[in-house]
Amino acid sequence: MMATIGDPSRQGAAPAPTLKERVEDFLSYEGELLDERRFDEWLELFAEDARYWMPLARNVEHNNLEEEYSREQQDAAWFDEDKKTLLQRVMQLKGGDHWAEEPFSRTTHITANTRIENAAETELTVKSRFIVYVNRREGEVRLFVGKRIDVLRPVGAGFLIAKRSIFLDQSKLLFKNLTTFF
Amino acid sequence: MDGDTIDGRLVDAGSGLIDRRIFSDKDIFEQEMKQVFGKSWLFVGHESQIPNKGDYFTSQAGRDAVVVTRDSDGEVRVMLNVCTHRGMPVCRYDKGNAKRFTCPYHGWTFSNNGDLSGLPLSTEGYGGQLDRKKWGLIQARVTLYYGSIWATFDETVPPFEDTLGDMAVMLRDFMQGPDGEDDGLEVIDGILKFEIHSNWKFGAENNAGDLYHDVSHNSVQRVGLALSGLRGRHVWNADKHLFKTLNVAYPAGGHAARVNLYDDEQREYHPQWAVIPEVDEYFRAAHYARQERLGEKARLLNRGGIVFPNIAYNSAGRWQITMWVPRAPNRTEVWKWYFVPKNAPQKVKDTLRHYLLRYGGPSGMVEQDDIENWASAQVGAESAAANRLPMNYTLHMGQARWAWPVPWFGEGAYVDEGVSEHAQRIFYAHWAEMMGGPVSGQETGR
Repeated sequence: MMATIGDPSRQGAAPAPTLKERVEDFLSYEGELLDERRFDEWLELFAEDARYWMPLARNVEHNNLEEEYSREQQDAAWFDEDKKTLLQRVMQLKGGDHWAEEPFSRTTHITANTRIENAAETELTVKSRFIVYVNRREGEVRLFVGKRIDVLRPVGAGFLIAKRSIFLDQSKLLFKNLTTFF
Repeated sequence: MDGDTIDGRLVDAGSGLIDRRIFSDKDIFEQEMKQVFGKSWLFVGHESQIPNKGDYFTSQAGRDAVVVTRDSDGEVRVMLNVCTHRGMPVCRYDKGNAKRFTCPYHGWTFSNNGDLSGLPLSTEGYGGQLDRKKWGLIQARVTLYYGSIWATFDETVPPFEDTLGDMAVMLRDFMQGPDGEDDGLEVIDGILKFEIHSNWKFGAENNAGDLYHDVSHNSVQRVGLALSGLRGRHVWNADKHLFKTLNVAYPAGGHAARVNLYDDEQREYHPQWAVIPEVDEYFRAAHYARQERLGEKARLLNRGGIVFPNIAYNSAGRWQITMWVPRAPNRTEVWKWYFVPKNAPQKVKDTLRHYLLRYGGPSGMVEQDDIENWASAQVGAESAAANRLPMNYTLHMGQARWAWPVPWFGEGAYVDEGVSEHAQRIFYAHWAEMMGGPVSGQETGR
């Protein structure tokens, strides 16, 4: 849990966590909040000007890879959100009348291969891989695997997500709905 | 009864009862591939996807994979994406630009107009005798309709405009966009493709005109989606005192639209995008431009509809086409094209894009709940015990009127007012007719 980082009672016993450990801890915590359906707390991890984007992947020629993903702020996408619209989605999820997520699906978010690509004083660029497993009602299973690039802003002992780009390894979505955050 | 005829009891449109087996039976599915999809004009895409010579994209004409090109002479071609030699797809990309397509198996090469232009061992192996005209890619008949591209591989299907009939009023209006100018839309790059474990007809019939399923969309109504600053999901004036809600079906082709017909031809613009003044100003100007251009027909607010069998459009600010690609009785691929008015300022296009992406598809706050419905309905369709009970489509039966309430809906318009399953009954009556079933009852007016 994020709260344990920088916990004064631990400081004598263990060395202070590295930046990478803090980032990994943050991403694990964030996934935990989603899996525990603590959507409001999850949303608080986003900066007010946050952007959340999941482009479409296309099958293109080897020499045309710049068109593999739909373009940000220009083309269609699975998600193209700001914090306000993320809030609308959270409000929709929580009402008990959003039938695509009522009852809630069971989810497990796994984040791996976390690597800090760039660390400036005010912002970090973090690359990672994700596996998101969704089990809906009885037999329905959705497995999402892909890559993320996050821009994080250090705030106190933690971070805020300024931007999340999600690259799902599917061109045709192999499932019926994307009712889960990534 | 021959193999091309369904049991007349499966679809009893006259009494509004439909057997669940039409959603789950494998033989019925194979028969509809042949007799419904094989005998219909099918939407495959939009001209704005291929603005330049050599541009192409791959699409689906029912179960058949096609490649759609603008050939080197500028002509739009729809061709089966199947090598005439061994059947490999000759194009394995979603989109691009190419002068030719080379099959990776034996190297047969086809120009972007389908001609067999390259044939390995042409002389040594075929003695220079292979008739290249005969072995080009298989070409569909193509109709361009205000920017939309339609195709069929059947030579006996009447021309597209004939099968569309008076539904032309609605489809043309949809393609116009908000200011009433023909061919007014362009595709937002990026086609959404996803998969539902559901029969293709559940989504299709819903879009024909199901105004009964408001409960499904409680959550998005509660949260809001429209940028009017108001709750709700739509961007039109929903004051029911000002218009009639109509289910306008066209039985001859099985098509239908759900529309608002406002009483006042000169109705005032009702601000729907007020939180973004620049966008609101565009729609205000477009509203009056459309009235100027269309006159009385501007009373129409075309909300959406279906071009039989598998193409749904949504209009009125939510410009999109949804295509159901049948894969199996219980498995459907869904493709979605989003559109914006092509002459609109970039700010308007951007705003609409955000609205559309949050409206439709697997990540859409509206359509997620529709998709849940269609997949869940399939469970009931496959229930052996429930098979004793037909599906019930009797809502608001027996009240439809022909060519009403305005003559310009066309003589082929068969219209019911309010919340009704009229359009679904027409959809299934036409489906049954194409499947060789007897068509019964007053509902079709026959």
